[in-house]
This record gives sequence, C-alpha cells and structure tokens, in this order.
Amino acid sequence: MPSKRPLEGVRVADLTAMWAGPYATMLLADLGAEVVKVESPKAWDKIRTLLAPPVSPGEQWWNTAFYFHEYNRNKKSVTLDLADPKGKELFGRIVAKSDIVIENFRTDVPAKLGLSDEWLRAQNEQIIVVGMAGFGKTGPDANAMGYGPIIEQMSGLTALSGYGDDGIPMKTGISYGDPIAGLGAAAAALTALIQRRKTGKGQYIDLSQREVMTAQIGEAFLDWNMNQRLQPHWGNGHDWMAPHNAYQCRGEDEWVAITVRTDQEWDGLVRAMGSPAWSGEEAFSDQIYRWDNHDALDAHMSAWTGGLTKEAVFDACRAEGVPCGPVLKMADLFDDEQLQARGFYEEVNHPQHKTWLVHGWAWQATDAGPCIASVAPNFGQHNEEVLGGLLGLDQAELDQLAGEGIIADRPVGPQTLSEMEAAGTLSAPTVKLD
Amino acid sequence: MTTPPNPAPVLSETDVQTYPLAGVRVIELAQGIAGPYAGKWLAALGADVIKVEPPWGEPARAFGPWPEDDPHDETSGLFLYLNPSKRGITLNLETSDGREILRELAPSADLIVESFAPGYLESIGLGADALRAGKPEQVMISLSAFGQSGPWADLPWTELTVFALSGQMSMTGEPDRPPLKNGGSQPSYQAGLNAFCAALAAYYGAQVHGEGTHIDLALRETYSSMLELYAAGNSSMGLDFPRRGNRVSAVWGIYPCIDGYAGLCCLQRNYDRMAEALAIPELKEPKFADPAQRLENEDELQAIMYGWFAGKTREEVHQLGLEYQFPAGFVATIEDLIESDQLNGRDFFLGDDHPHAGKLKFPRRLWRGSEHDWLNGRAPELGQHNVDILHHELGYEMEDLPRLRELDAI
Repeated sequence: MPSKRPLEGVRVADLTAMWAGPYATMLLADLGAEVVKVESPKAWDKIRTLLAPPVSPGEQWWNTAFYFHEYNRNKKSVTLDLADPKGKELFGRIVAKSDIVIENFRTDVPAKLGLSDEWLRAQNEQIIVVGMAGFGKTGPDANAMGYGPIIEQMSGLTALSGYGDDGIPMKTGISYGDPIAGLGAAAAALTALIQRRKTGKGQYIDLSQREVMTAQIGEAFLDWNMNQRLQPHWGNGHDWMAPHNAYQCRGEDEWVAITVRTDQEWDGLVRAMGSPAWSGEEAFSDQIYRWDNHDALDAHMSAWTGGLTKEAVFDACRAEGVPCGPVLKMADLFDDEQLQARGFYEEVNHPQHKTWLVHGWAWQATDAGPCIASVAPNFGQHNEEVLGGLLGLDQAELDQLAGEGIIADRPVGPQTLSEMEAAGTLSAPTVKLD
Repeated sequence: MTTPPNPAPVLSETDVQTYPLAGVRVIELAQGIAGPYAGKWLAALGADVIKVEPPWGEPARAFGPWPEDDPHDETSGLFLYLNPSKRGITLNLETSDGREILRELAPSADLIVESFAPGYLESIGLGADALRAGKPEQVMISLSAFGQSGPWADLPWTELTVFALSGQMSMTGEPDRPPLKNGGSQPSYQAGLNAFCAALAAYYGAQVHGEGTHIDLALRETYSSMLELYAAGNSSMGLDFPRRGNRVSAVWGIYPCIDGYAGLCCLQRNYDRMAEALAIPELKEPKFADPAQRLENEDELQAIMYGWFAGKTREEVHQLGLEYQFPAGFVATIEDLIESDQLNGRDFFLGDDHPHAGKLKFPRRLWRGSEHDWLNGRAPELGQHNVDILHHELGYEMEDLPRLRELDAI
C-alpha cells in the first residue's frame, strides 16, 4: 500500500449525477480525493432509483441500488437544496473550502441555479470548475442534451461500427460515451490541479463529452483527409488478418474470438485444431491466401469451435500461442482466473443488501491495496461531518435546516417503490429484467 | 488556423502559464495506439515527450491509412494522429549501446510510459526499480493487455480478443447475430485515455507527496471498469444482459431516417417532451404512460418510431431535440464532423499542410481550459531528434552517431 493516494488532500464539490459525471468523480475519489457529492432533497441523483433491489429491509431503496454503488464508492453525501438561498449559501461555503467543482448539467442550467462561474469564483478565487456539457458550453448545440448513447452517435463511432453486410451502423452495448467523457473530465481536473500548483490560478474547464469521444477515432479523420474515404464496417473482420472473427461454440449464445497475425500463429492454430486435412489446402497456405478465402476459412473454423465450449477453444489456442478470447458474459467475468488473480473485483458490503462484487481499480499502483475504502454513502450520510465539521454549523443549526427541508436524510417525494411506481417517478426499466 | 511549428517546441517552466505540462519530461517507450495516445495528450499540454522507437520504426508507421494507399514510413495516418508535438529518437534496446543510452536518458524523465511485454524491461536490466532507483519521485506507467501479473500476463492478444474478454462485446450487436466489435480501435484508445489520466494523477501525487509510483494498467481491466450497471447488476441481482442491437427500448435506440440514421435516448423524465416533439397524439395514451407499460407495448411503440423517423432527416431530428429538450441525435460520419459548425466553431480541429502527407485536419484537443492551450506540433520523423538528444543533451560526439548507427543501436 503506498503511503498516500495521489489526490489525498484534494476536495471536490461534486454536483454531477447519472453516469458521465459520477464516473469522473469516482476516479477522483478512488485516487484519494475527498469527493463531496451534493444532492438536493428534492432533486437527487436518479441513479439512486434505477434498478433498486425489489426488496430491501426498511425499504431504503434510495441507498441500495447497485448501480448507484458502482459509481459512487469512496464519496461522501451531503444533501442541500440549492434552490433555497440558505442551501446555496452553504454550498458556497463548501466551494470556498474545495479545490474543484464539477458538474454535468446542460449548458443553460448552472446559470439558472445561480451557480455561474463568476459566482463560484467569488466564493473561491482559486477554484477549478469543470463543466462537462454534452456538446460544450458554446455554439449552436450548447444546449443539446448529451446522454451517452446520443454522444456516441454524434461522435462518429457509431458510423464506423456495423456487421458490414447490411450497411447498418451499430451502437455499442453500453453507454460508452459516458465513461469516456468521465475519464476526460477527470483528466481535465487533474491538468488544472497540476497547472494551479505551479501558477496559483484556478480556471474554468469547458469539456464537451462528444469531443472526447470523437478524439478516439482519430485515424478515420486521416483517411478522410488523405483519401476522402469513409471507413467501411469491418464487422469482426480485419483489413489484413484472417482468421479474425467471433466463432460460435457449444451452448447457448456462446462465442470465442480468434485472430491470427503471422504464419507462426497459424501453425499454432492448426495444431490447436488437431491438424485437420483442410488446413493444408493451398487456399490457406499463407496470410494473403487466408485473407482472400476468409469465408471458407471461417466456415471450417466454426465447424471446429461449434463442437467445443468457448473455454476449451481458449485453452487449446492458449497452449499454442494463438491470440484468442472467449466472448465473456457478465457472469463469466467474476469467474475469470486472471481477474481473480489480480483482485480486480472487490466486495461491496452494505448493511441493507447482500454482499456483491464491483470492479476495483481501473488501473493500479503496483503496491496498491484494495480500491474501495468506503461503500457509496447513504443519502445525506455526511451532512453532519461536512456541514458541522467542515463548515462549523452546530446541532441546532443542522436541526433547523432539516426542519426547513434544506437538508434531509431521505429524498423528498414518494417513499416506497410502490409509491414511486404510482407517481411515475421510477426512472427504471429501460432495461429488460427478464 | 495556425501553422504548427516543426519540430515540436521544447518549452520551459515559464511556459506553464499557457501549457500546464511545460517543463515535464516524458519518455515514451510505447508503440501502437494505447501508450502513444496517452503521450499525445501529454505532449499537447506542453510536456517534452521523447518518443523512443526502434531504428526500423514503430508498428503504427506501418498501419496507415496512407495517401492514395501508398505505404510510407512518414505518412501513416495513425502515426501522424497519435504522435504530434513529440520528439523522436531511435534506440535499439536489444543492443548494449541502446540500453546504455536509455539508462543515461531515464533520470531526466518525470514520467515513463512503456508498453513492452510484461517483464521485458526487467529482462534487459531496465525495469521500474532500476530506472526509478535514483529518482523516487519518478512515475512509470506500464501498459499491457492483461496486467503485469497473473497467469495471463504473457498471453498474446489483439484488439478483438481483448474486446471479447472485456465483457462489452457480449452485449454489442443484434440478438440473432454474432456479438460484434465496435469500429476503430476502442480497446487501445480507451486504455490510452485511462493511461493519460493515470499519468496526470500519479505525476500530481509525486509533486505533492514527493513519491512516485509504478502504475500497472491492463487494457482489459480499464475496459471492464466501464460496464456500468451490467457487471454489478449480474453480481448483485443475477441479471443477464443479452444483445439488443440498436434498441435498448423503443425510445432508446437508433432508427433509419431519410438521409441516414438518427436516434433518441429517453428516460421517463424525457418522455413527455419527446412526445410533444414527435407530435403523435398516440404517444400520450395510457398504454405508453410509463416504462412498464411501454415495455408491454414495445412492438407497437417501435412501429410508431420507425414510421416517424422514416419521414425525418437527421438534422430535423437533431433540431427537434434542441427545440423540445429531449435527448436526440444522429449517426454522424467523419465528413459530418469535419464540416460541423459546432466543432469548427469550438476550434476542435488542427489543420496542417504536411510536407509528406498533404492537407490534414483532425482533433487537436480534449477540452478547453480558460488558462491553457494545446500545442500544435507535428509528429516526428523517424530519428528526427537523435542529434538533439544524444549530442546536445547527453553529450555524445557527432562522430559517435554514425558508429552507433552502424552498430544498429540508433
């Protein structure tokens, strides 16, 4: 365990919600920053109510959603109604004692909340403000809503993805734009911290989530520059490797990816397959032949993999030095021997939930211990610590704030899942649970 | 647009008012995409990134795309994109002279980014412990597919196999077709973005706490860290997540439209505004009133969406999203992006008239900072800065260089 995490001593006032922003502040929190997540009793992070477990003792569903835990570990929770002048004043006092404010509001929202850059800077001249609107804070699209799947479409990545035989672009399986933007925002905050340490100046960062994603397909721009060519959909194929595909295995929807870069790897694959007669045909005798005949090659390969489990194919390829990877489903990841050996998953132990696993370090210092120092905070769990300890409010003042609804230890509004459903405020099932 | 300086400028500490990493020395012992992508942004923010290539050039020089598909060491689009504003030297680490030069150069580095096979640098006596010995505040970042440790550390890999093993592939593509890889080289790019972030964090920590570190970054693990609700949902609630093609639900997906593809992504709180924008009264009927109802009547709702999108252009969808404030967009191509008013208005692209590769225009920065700017240097030609580094900095005589070249060391 290193004596210190790199961001120990850095405080972040975190106004982000949903996906992209909380991913950024998760990274900062994992790295040792004290991240104070600020939610309004009336307008909380909706992830708290996304896929909350159907039964949780005490029905504190707002504290137990696994997805909320995924991105909010190692953070502190403070509730403050920012629409109330008192709430806003207290937030200003938190800003005064923070290094970074980060928000992922739509561009026009911070000003409406009275949280302009000028106001923030009036609370703390050296503050670093990271705004991560979907399309940036300027231009005709400044107020466009930027959820991850929209970012991905608008970034150019979706246009590059597809099976290739039908011309249809294909989205990624996750809201890929969100974590990518989150990484960019964390990097922006770190850059500003490094610069401030040398210049003494805070600054305003205007990060467009779409731009961070667009930067990840750079060579496609060069192809357009050089050849006015829109890159084709490669499916699971490749512009010179063959075999290079996902092959179906025994079982239900089980697949394995196999790729061959060199003649040496091809020889290994042939041995892995038990040297079938077809592998000696001229059609597969070198890289160029194999690429030209990749459909026939894929048919032979599928015939081989179809009789085996993806694990058996992987073992056979691994033994012969062939790049191969089973297409892992979520449950497979937890059984993965490499991830287990590296301690990639860590347990979440929450008093109101059975133990489950989430990923720990995205990257690790070689001498790091476990990543998760504390599970995601309960709603308002650190009101007393932050408002009392950091800002110096006494118990009577805290009680009064609670009485006025400016702070709270549970969201205002429907209190049970069934009430939520009745009120139509459950933001859940865009995900099919069957 | 400014003409980029060439060669890449070397900044001093005083330039930190504009370039946050001015005065920071990075040695990039990385090839391909992931490590160089991290180095790209470090260099653009002002770090003096010295890219070390073997004398025959790193693989990205051989990947293309090239002008008119004509392969050339100095015109690979991938290389030109990943390496602007760096300085380039050649060193053959398989020779004792090459290793000696790296040993002499290493103490100058604040950060070392390497992507050799795990254990390679140790095997030639230049592992993290050896390189960081005289400089505890130095940071080293090792990138690999599966990590520096564990039974798979030495496993051969490609973009496709890492993507398969990350978990994301099982959920990407149509349910009745094979799982599908994303376009481009996302396994490497996302790892590079993680490595950039890791480098900044570790450098900051070293500055503040006086203690560097050795970061072990695995491409597969950074990818598996972004599985959102899916992995934890399986562990926590036993949920399975099959592929769903282009539609998570009828109101969260991509549809064909008049001039391509467009999409929307509506949570409950976005639904009413979407219904207003589409101006289809049926959308307000009780059968579509909440997520559970919509799931029940999914096919009907999808049919409505197909019909609506079929009569709209991409730009119309986008503008309706802006006007009615619901999440909508379209599948933008590279051509759309390069001509985008939004991106050009924000000075997102770098233009260059490259002596070998012609007119280029590509992303030049990740964000805008009120107190900083991004450098616009060119990518180095092979060995372009050998004299700068070996002669001017390390003190080798000019006469030594031909000898080192002869020995295949540079």
